[in-house]
Amino acid sequence: MNLEFIGEGPALVVTGEERHLVVADLHFGIEADLAVHGLHFRSRSRPRLERLLKIIDRTDPDSLVLLGDIKHSIPSLTRQEYYELPRILGTLRDRTSLHIFPGNHDIGIERYCSAVEICPKDGAIIDGVGYLHGHTYPSPYLGGHLIIAGHHHPLLSLNDEVGCSLQSPAYLRAGLNTGELGLLEPDEPDLPTRVLFMPSFNEIAGYDILQIVRNPTSPLSRHIRQDDAEVILADGTYIGPLKSVMDDESS
Amino acid sequence: MKAVEALDPRVQACIRKRGFTVLSDAQKEAIPHILNGDHTLLIAPTGTGKTESAMFPVFNALLSLPAGGGFKALYITPLRSLNRDILSRMQWWCSELGLTVGVRHGDTPMAERRKQALHAPDLLITTPETVQALFMGKRLRQHLAGVRFVIIDEIHELAGSKRGAQLAVALERLHVYAGEFQRIGLSATVGNPDAIARFMCGNRPFSIVQVPVAKNLQIEVKYVGDDFRHQTEVLSRMLKREGSTLVFVNTRVTAEALGHALFAEGDVEVHHGSLSKEVRIDAEERFKRGDIHTLICTSSMELGIDIGRVDHVIQFGSPREVARLVQRVGRAGHQLNTVSRGTILATGFDDLLESLVIANKAKAGELEDVATEYNAADVLANQVAAIAVEYGEIERGKILGILSRTSLFGDAGPLLENVCRQMEEHRLIRLDGSRIITTARARRYLAGNLSMIHDERKVPIYDMVSRRTVGTLDESFVVGWVHTGVVFITKGQLWRVLEIADGRLTVEPARKAVGELPSWEGEQIPVPFPVAREAGRIRRTRRFADYTSDSANTAYAESFLSEMDKNRSLVPTDTLITLENIDDGVVCNVCAGHKANEALGRVLSVLISARYGTTVGLELDAYRFLLRLPFDIRAADVRDLLLSLDPAHMPGIIRLALKRTALFKWKLVQIAKKFGAIDPDADYEKISIQRLLEFFDNTIVQQEAYRELLTAYMDIGTAASIVQKIRDGEIQVSLGPHSLIGAGGLLSSRDQIPPPTADQAVLSTLKRRLDQDDVLLCCMNCRDWKSHTVVSRVPEHPQCPKCGARLIAALKPYEEESCAVVKKPRKNAEERAVEQRLLRNANIVLSSGKKAVIALSARGVGPENASRILSTLTEGDAFYREILKAERTFIQTHRYWT
Repeated sequence: MNLEFIGEGPALVVTGEERHLVVADLHFGIEADLAVHGLHFRSRSRPRLERLLKIIDRTDPDSLVLLGDIKHSIPSLTRQEYYELPRILGTLRDRTSLHIFPGNHDIGIERYCSAVEICPKDGAIIDGVGYLHGHTYPSPYLGGHLIIAGHHHPLLSLNDEVGCSLQSPAYLRAGLNTGELGLLEPDEPDLPTRVLFMPSFNEIAGYDILQIVRNPTSPLSRHIRQDDAEVILADGTYIGPLKSVMDDESS
Repeated sequence: MKAVEALDPRVQACIRKRGFTVLSDAQKEAIPHILNGDHTLLIAPTGTGKTESAMFPVFNALLSLPAGGGFKALYITPLRSLNRDILSRMQWWCSELGLTVGVRHGDTPMAERRKQALHAPDLLITTPETVQALFMGKRLRQHLAGVRFVIIDEIHELAGSKRGAQLAVALERLHVYAGEFQRIGLSATVGNPDAIARFMCGNRPFSIVQVPVAKNLQIEVKYVGDDFRHQTEVLSRMLKREGSTLVFVNTRVTAEALGHALFAEGDVEVHHGSLSKEVRIDAEERFKRGDIHTLICTSSMELGIDIGRVDHVIQFGSPREVARLVQRVGRAGHQLNTVSRGTILATGFDDLLESLVIANKAKAGELEDVATEYNAADVLANQVAAIAVEYGEIERGKILGILSRTSLFGDAGPLLENVCRQMEEHRLIRLDGSRIITTARARRYLAGNLSMIHDERKVPIYDMVSRRTVGTLDESFVVGWVHTGVVFITKGQLWRVLEIADGRLTVEPARKAVGELPSWEGEQIPVPFPVAREAGRIRRTRRFADYTSDSANTAYAESFLSEMDKNRSLVPTDTLITLENIDDGVVCNVCAGHKANEALGRVLSVLISARYGTTVGLELDAYRFLLRLPFDIRAADVRDLLLSLDPAHMPGIIRLALKRTALFKWKLVQIAKKFGAIDPDADYEKISIQRLLEFFDNTIVQQEAYRELLTAYMDIGTAASIVQKIRDGEIQVSLGPHSLIGAGGLLSSRDQIPPPTADQAVLSTLKRRLDQDDVLLCCMNCRDWKSHTVVSRVPEHPQCPKCGARLIAALKPYEEESCAVVKKPRKNAEERAVEQRLLRNANIVLSSGKKAVIALSARGVGPENASRILSTLTEGDAFYREILKAERTFIQTHRYWT
């Protein structure tokens, strides 16, 4: 298995038997929710979709794995989503086959997908790698695999000597306490179960990595092994152990 | 009294009844023009009866108009407190003349407003913001049709601001209902009366009546030492000799400190903007009644609130601007034709020279110009929304018609189109071809955005540890700049942001300063370029006697400069810039005033940060700026940059410099609010506002943020002209040791200029990580020595302390087993492979030293990768970039993930 980091996604190309393009947290329709919170912007669905299509065309995958929160509004569809979603999914389907792992924002999305496309909420294994959105307990069968999850929108802040910082989407890779999560132990003992939290594809969704670690809200983030956690930027730049990012802060 | 003879007998009777026996110059000269129907700008010192000059002829005309029929005259002032003052003065006249008068502003009760909507008073006293509100009601709009006169008081305060630009548009919106009406502006002395008149009238003809102020000014400058206790003692002695005195200070903090020091005297009160309305009114009243003789005040007292007799004005510290000094001293001696007496107490070397220059310029009548806001996009957005609400829907051409009558929105066609498109983006209006259509949101937006003053929500700062609120921050700052993990300073302490939620900032005390929150207190009055430059000239010529006859002043200034000479320090002047090394960075002594120094400092900062890949801190005042730099960047480097600067490139560089700064993001948020993109009560949690702000790239919102910063906050044109003078040899640049002048001054405005690419933050994170990485050194010669350490402690060429060999392998801590393996006398095939690997490793360290150790400690970098990296022969950042590349490749492989 190989992973390719697409910085302008953020997206991943996971290559095993086949090539899978993975993106998480598109949040189409977020603009309606922003307006409720006092931020008024026209829908950016079109440029967001075009960004995704460009990546599909360039990486030419055998399938597209959508790691949940494709749409934004809960508990129901907004007008915007009602009109936009079928077209968006249709455009994607025209290019490649879809695996959709529904997230907490995806209520009602089934009506726009075929039964084959919809994967179990608690995750499934495709080509040796586990996938799920990440708001639920993972299926026990994901144990012993690399698990790629969305939902957390990790964002990293970096400081230089004088103190100005940069915020950038980033991946958090960590070992998991399999027992507490109810995951099956791997067949080969030296194949540890690891989770890779993907940054959101949506441009403005973001949550500080340290917040994710310190105030975990999901079963997965509650059971990561911090001593074995590492941070990688969206373009695959290796930042270092989570510990070093945390030390930076407290030193 | 000849001027009043043309007035209606009823008005003349009132004038006599009120006890006027002589008219002031202002009244004598202005009344005929106003009676004649001219648009008139009257420029005269406060307290020379400007209000009456305008109102006598206006009363005259109002008497001849039939009763009823809406508002007939609007009297607009910039402040509610002025409104109250004017109202109490107008009530007597109006009741004598049988006219009705009302006041309407933010504090006016609902019942009073309703009454005005039913029966409009003849004369309405109001603020620019409430004028905006008048256009929103149907009934009020009908009343506006009757307006014949608009009087704008303290117009110089409005003309240079966005509030003023908004008012200029409002006057032309009023024109649509009322047709031509007479415009009367009342102003303090300014450098450019024509521009103020055009601001008021657009392209209409106007008359300017100017009562000279300079000849009646008597200004002294007195050096009082730099010790605050001594300063207050001198002040206290002066106050005992004088009658009623206004003491002007430049900041609220100074006002409080002086008030505290003089409190024991008993007859002193403090007056500034942070005090409650009641406290301020009480202080004004007591001063007016003569209960107290001294009022310590900030610019809050510059405007013409009537506080009775003032015998003397003391300016504590340099007044910074000529116009400000003239206006402040002009408050003294209000009896007609008496001289205004003022004394500046100078508190230091810069302060003394600056005060001398300003006093001299005041006597010569060389006042600063008021810079009007030309084509301000956020004002236009605000007014387009207001007009859309006013009309429901309107042709763009009609809006252009309104704008073209102002002097501030000339040729606004393309701008208007740009602004409308941006507003549609934020769903504030709808566009249908050339029609602009209001939306449900627009009315709500307008209710929250009547004013162009940025009404900042204050975000409380809550300390997690002590569980208390430690202060507040401007909301726009929090939104644009602060995020989890940021460290900033407030209340003299360092804090780290833990969370931004529920409208507050949760923090904990931090230990290390990795950042400082920039702060711009609105109280900082910039010293203009000509003043700073002339102060620099005095440093060069040392002809103090041309400016002051007080020998104490001259003696102090001479002794200060001879101390500089004795230390062999170079004295920076108008023709000499000196650069001085200090521990924290480089002090650049440039006599150019705040705005030009800000521009020049930022340009240098961004060039340094780009070249050396570090963030640069900037602090400045009118005569110097400090670049906070890593210790290896010195004055000579800064000089080389300064000498190689091309003035033509500076405007482009400064835009680049601003883009990622806190100041720029703060401005961007403020302007975005005026475009309706961000509500006043917006909630930013859970989204990355930093990335949201990127949506404004290359939009009119961003353009306006640049325009405002480059006019109101910094002066890139002047900065470029200084660099040109350096090129032409008119200004020299020298290096010098740290001097008395370089050490002086208040370093007030703070900001940080980050490097132009994000890349730098990544590189410095990488360097830090590698430095702290554990490494195991193991001698491959004697094979008897190994040592655990961290990379930063490894010497340039590691050597075995046992055998003295330099054949040292640099291993990761988990490779310790390998050390044991190589010590084995007999090895199997697998063990021989390990030995080969370690030997290769040690050979790389032997040839490349510490650099190899650094490369080998990177993630997934073994001897093969390390020698590839080293073979690129790169140094510094480029070397680290090679390491990043190798790590990036590694984590894409199977090996990393399983």
